[in-house]
Amino acid sequence: MRDLIFVGYVALIMLLAFKRPFLFTLIYAYVDIVSPQRLSYFLLNSIPLSLILFVLAFLGFLVSDDKKDVRISPRWVLLLVLLAYCGYTTTVAAEPVAALEKWSWVWKALVFAAFLPLTLRTKLRIEALVLTMVICASTLIVTGGIKTAAGGGGYGSLVILIDDNSGLFEGSIISTVAITIIPLILWLARHGTVFKPDWKVNVYAAALIFACLLIPVGTQARTGIVCIAVLGLLLLRFARYRMLYLGAVALLGLAAIPFLPSSFTERADTIKNYKADESASTRLAVWAWTWEYVKEHPMGGGFDVYRQNRIRYDIAQKDVPGQTTDPYAPEVKEIVDQGRAFHSSYFEMLGEQGFPGLIIWLIIQLGGVWRMEVITRMYRKRNRDDEAWVAPLATALQNSQIIYLVGSLFVGIAFQAFFFMLTALQISLDTYLARRRQEAAWKPIKSRRMRQAEQSA
Amino acid sequence: MIDNFSILLSHGLLAFAFWHLMNRPELDLEEPPAPDAEPEGFAHQRMSTKRKVKVPPGA
Repeated sequence: MRDLIFVGYVALIMLLAFKRPFLFTLIYAYVDIVSPQRLSYFLLNSIPLSLILFVLAFLGFLVSDDKKDVRISPRWVLLLVLLAYCGYTTTVAAEPVAALEKWSWVWKALVFAAFLPLTLRTKLRIEALVLTMVICASTLIVTGGIKTAAGGGGYGSLVILIDDNSGLFEGSIISTVAITIIPLILWLARHGTVFKPDWKVNVYAAALIFACLLIPVGTQARTGIVCIAVLGLLLLRFARYRMLYLGAVALLGLAAIPFLPSSFTERADTIKNYKADESASTRLAVWAWTWEYVKEHPMGGGFDVYRQNRIRYDIAQKDVPGQTTDPYAPEVKEIVDQGRAFHSSYFEMLGEQGFPGLIIWLIIQLGGVWRMEVITRMYRKRNRDDEAWVAPLATALQNSQIIYLVGSLFVGIAFQAFFFMLTALQISLDTYLARRRQEAAWKPIKSRRMRQAEQSA
Repeated sequence: MIDNFSILLSHGLLAFAFWHLMNRPELDLEEPPAPDAEPEGFAHQRMSTKRKVKVPPGA
């Protein structure tokens, strides 16, 4: 039954897109984020839906879009360079089979990210993509939020739509995504034109933000807690009444603690007690291995090179209350492990793509933070009524990016399509605004001559 | 039950948004922006330097 509804739904929205081909781009984003083909058992997962949609989106761009509005930015070029470089490292990968498998979805994410700035050439299109990303992520977040509020959840046990630990359905990744989109939800609630700001939109936005904050509680992903703390600091920057904001945050935080499940507070405690935590110790050992590996292979080992690691580390023995400890037991326990994932986007890039890949990726990411800062300052200074939406969007995109970059310290999400869409949004906003500024300042020579002729007549 | 509610809610909102977008012409074509009241940026700086050069001495 669910299959038929999904097929009907996708067919319906594709029908709408034949009137406005840009909608194919949004439907591709929907398929990429929600993965309706994975939520259904047959029909949708038997056809290459993403491929069909991308071809339609690209054809729509070729046929109906005005190509003179297209602008190229340095970061857009770097996306293509990264794509080519990843293609090269895949051909010489240390783990050829695994590398090819990862490449099969990474290239799609990068190509789509490179395609977006070509087609996002109006303000409404930029807003439409932000809205689509938020609504699509909410498919996963609303269900996770309600289940957590109802007392469900637990590390690795909160099932969001499907019991699958890949893509956005993985606990740490959805936690990072949930906190990353909060600045975008706030922007949509204030400046959206599809769902215009009113009490209904505000109530829904508040409920969705609450659900987003519950996701790290439900999944018990510690990365999410760190991301929430970063979000709190970032929102402080433009808060009108800072002391009031700080007081409210502190009060909310204190009020929330008694309601958090004890398993969550225990897990959160391991952030400061990382020496006795196997997961944190594994990370440190894998990162040390990665560093040693790239010293020998500075160009990287290709996708999924972590499969080659053999790590050995010591962890402090935990004192479990209520249990008698063996007085002769050693204070540390030796753990031997192999094929452990990077658990950090920075080390993922470094190990897989080497120093060139990491540098390109960092320029793309940090360049985004810097450009959004430049735009925020510029448009606050310009202070035009018709551009009131610009500085808040640039700030929201910047905040999302910073949260992602902090979350990336502990999760390997360097190639997640969702975050590349965020980068593409920044590039698109930047090039779109550059064109609009030029149009607002530009006086065509012809019209100036005509004006002079009129004056002299 | 909760999953179906979440899917229904988000897909309903998305369909509404797509329907709304389909009926807005500014999705594809935008009006040109109103000209700046005061020109700024590099173009303006270039223009003002040129203007300064063009002013005849003693005028």
